[in-house]
Amino acid sequence: MIWQQFLSLAGSYPLALRGLGMTVVLSLISLVLGTLLGFGLGILRTGGNRLISSVIGAWVDLIRGTPFLVQIFLIFFILPEFGIELDAFTAGIIALTNLAACFICEIVAAGIRSVPTGQVEAALASGLSRWQRMRQVVLPQAMRIVLPPLVGQYVLLIKDSSVVSAIGLTDLTRVGWLVVQRVPNGLLVFFLVGVGYFIVCYPLIMLARRLERRMGAAHGEVQL
Amino acid sequence: MTKPTQTKTGPAKTGMIDFRGVNKWFGALNVLKDITLSVEPREVVVVCGPSGSGKSTLIRCINGLETIKDGDLVVDGQRVGDPATNMTQLRTEIGFVFQSFNLYPHKTALENVTLAPVHVRKIPRAEAEKAGRELLAKVGLADKVNAYPAQLSGGQQQRVAIARCLGMRPKIMLFDEPTSALDPEMISEVLDVMVAVAEEGMTMMVVTHEMGFARKVAQRVVFMDAGAIVESGTPDEFFSHPKTDRSRAFLSKILRH
Repeated sequence: MIWQQFLSLAGSYPLALRGLGMTVVLSLISLVLGTLLGFGLGILRTGGNRLISSVIGAWVDLIRGTPFLVQIFLIFFILPEFGIELDAFTAGIIALTNLAACFICEIVAAGIRSVPTGQVEAALASGLSRWQRMRQVVLPQAMRIVLPPLVGQYVLLIKDSSVVSAIGLTDLTRVGWLVVQRVPNGLLVFFLVGVGYFIVCYPLIMLARRLERRMGAAHGEVQL
Repeated sequence: MTKPTQTKTGPAKTGMIDFRGVNKWFGALNVLKDITLSVEPREVVVVCGPSGSGKSTLIRCINGLETIKDGDLVVDGQRVGDPATNMTQLRTEIGFVFQSFNLYPHKTALENVTLAPVHVRKIPRAEAEKAGRELLAKVGLADKVNAYPAQLSGGQQQRVAIARCLGMRPKIMLFDEPTSALDPEMISEVLDVMVAVAEEGMTMMVVTHEMGFARKVAQRVVFMDAGAIVESGTPDEFFSHPKTDRSRAFLSKILRH
C-alpha cells in the first residue's frame, strides 16, 4: 500500500517541482529586495535623524511583533477594500520583502553600531563625506558582524515563505496540501515537503557556519 | 614676557588657529573655560596638564569633533561651527592623530594612507599610491605598505596614522596624546616622525606629556587645568620656571621618575 502511494506520489513530481520553483523564486526575489531595503533602513536607523530612526524602529517592532500570516492577510484581503488590488504573487512578494527588510534592518543596525566610534572619527577627520564614511569605513567593518546572522535570517525567511500558501500561491507547502488530498498519507507527503525546504536551506546553513568561523578568525582582512 | 606671537594678537591679525573666549560644557561641567589662544602658521604648541583638564577636548574642537558652546574659533580663516563653513572641506586641511591610532583594520597601510586622497581630494589612484608609498617610506615603513594594522606594532600603527594625515597635505596637524597608548620602547620612533614633521614647518598642536619633544620642537607650552589655560610660555620658561602652584605640582609629578 505504501508502495502504491509512493508511485502515486512520483506521478505528482511535476507539481512538486513547480511548488519548489515557486518557493525558490518567491524567496529569492523577496530576499534580494528585502536585503537592499533592509540595508537602507538599517543605515537610516543608525543615522543622525531621530524622527526617521524612531519611525523605522516602530515599524520594525510592529512587523516583528505580529504573525506573518496576519500580515499576509492584511495585504491580500484588506488592501483591496481600499482599492489596492494585488494578485497573490505580488502580495506574497510584498509581505515577504517587508518582513525580510525589518529583520535585516535590525541586523544591519546592530552591525553598524558595533563599529568603534574612533573609526567614524578618523573618517570624519580626514574629510570623508557621510556616504564615503559609510561605504569605505563603516559598512565593510559592520559586515563582519552582519554576515553570519544575515545568512541565518535568510534560512528563517525561506521557511516563512511557506505561509504564502495561505493566500493560494502554489508553493511547496501548498503542493503538499494538494497532494495529500489525493494520497492520504500526510506523514509521507509532508516529510517530503520538509525535505524540499531542507535542500534549499541546508547550503545556506553551511554558508552561515563557515562565515561565522571565518569572521571570527579574520584580522580585518575580510574580503567581501 | 612670552613669545611675541602671543602678545601681538590683535583684531586685524589672525593666527592659523584662533580661540577667542571659547566655552564648552558637558552637561553642568564647564570643560573649556574662556579659552583664548592663537597659534601662528608653522608654530608648534604643546598642550599639557592633568587628565580631565580639557586638553583633548580643546584640540578636538578645532576640527569639529566636539562642538563649542560660545566664543569664536577661527581655523585657517574659517569659523568652526558657522553654518557657512564647510566643515568637511576644512577637515581636509587638518590632520588628526588619535591616541588609539584608529587605523582602518580592513585596509592595508597603503590603503589607509590613500583612502582620503583618492576619495576626497580626487587624486588618481596611481598617483596617490606613489605618494602613499613615499610617505610610508618617510615614516620608516617602506616594507609594510601591504600589511594590515593588526600585523603592525603600536608604534608602527601610529606612524601609519601620521602618514595617513600627511597624505592629505594638511595645513595643520593635531596630535591627541599620540604616544600614550604605546609601549615605552616604541615612543621614540613615533616622536622622531613628529619631530621631522615639525621641522618641515607644519603648524602643530600636540597634546602630550613628552617633555623631551616639547623642549626640542615646541615654540610654546600651554598648561591646562580644570578646563582653563593656566600658564603659557616657551618650553624653557615653563619647565625651568613654572609660574603657578598648579603647574609646579604637575611638573613635579611627571618629572619625578
